[in-house]
Amino acid sequence: MQLTDTGESRVNGYLFILERSLKTFLPPDLVRDVVREIESHLRERIVAADGAPNERVALETILGELGPPLRVAQAYSAERIVDEAVVTGRIAAVLSALWHVGARTVVGFCVALGVSVGYTAGWAFLVVAIMKPIFPRNVGLWADDVTGMPHRLGMEFPAPAGEHDMAGYWIIPVCLVIGILIVRSTHRWARRFLSRWRERRALAPTGRFVA
Amino acid sequence: MSHETWQEQLRRGSLDLAILLSVSSGPRYGLAIIQHLEAFTDLVVTEGTIYPILARLTRDGLLDATWVEDEAPHPRKYYRLTRAGARRLEHMKREWRAFADKITRLIDAAESTAHATH
Repeated sequence: MQLTDTGESRVNGYLFILERSLKTFLPPDLVRDVVREIESHLRERIVAADGAPNERVALETILGELGPPLRVAQAYSAERIVDEAVVTGRIAAVLSALWHVGARTVVGFCVALGVSVGYTAGWAFLVVAIMKPIFPRNVGLWADDVTGMPHRLGMEFPAPAGEHDMAGYWIIPVCLVIGILIVRSTHRWARRFLSRWRERRALAPTGRFVA
Repeated sequence: MSHETWQEQLRRGSLDLAILLSVSSGPRYGLAIIQHLEAFTDLVVTEGTIYPILARLTRDGLLDATWVEDEAPHPRKYYRLTRAGARRLEHMKREWRAFADKITRLIDAAESTAHATH
């Protein structure tokens, strides 16, 4: 099938949207490579098509079988972001991948929520450990002067009246250990989830994204 | 789980293996891989989803990609199995056959029990 100017515009429009979507997360040389490959696919399909019943229908069938450009771009995005998180294990990459998965699936959303809570809790313990030597009178495990029961851990400005810090400088090693344990286990759990998600994946042959 | 979801999961889980198998006999470009899969299976429902998988398998070092300019009116990107890809494929084939055998034995056992009961 030989394309008319209208057909050419339709193909170029498809490739333009694909390129623009890919540019948001892929480096330029990779974008060029992907667009070139998809264009090669389209041109090959177009040459092989007989153009029946007319150019518009034949072209839309070819584009429909390939899938919408945004969906194709999303598929590359899912592959790349999760790959980077699993392979490098960097916290930023893991968070980005979880954000990506969480925005698309219910399971991913729940895991992203759990991981956010884990990281926040872990970092909170670490911050307490770091701040104790800087503000020794304001950071501690606060207990009521009368009952002696501890009821709060953290920083208080000014130091609360009627309460005292019952942990002293022991709070530093304890919070360091607890914080590191929580952050490490959360991170390990998040990577394991992403690794399994990567294997079971998302690039559904139906063109839909599912966990 | 609906029957369609189960079928979809089966397809999804076997797509990497199917793609590696389709280039195991020699290099193929994207559309040729899709056509090969379409000829033998119903795994490809949306063609555009195959290319990101090919990109991932290439990043993982299981496939090697090369552009060929002068073979057709448009350049084609050929994929071939790397040594690591061949090793992974052998492993996947063994796993698949073992898994299929176990499920077949399970089905046979269930059917023979059902026949004996009736």
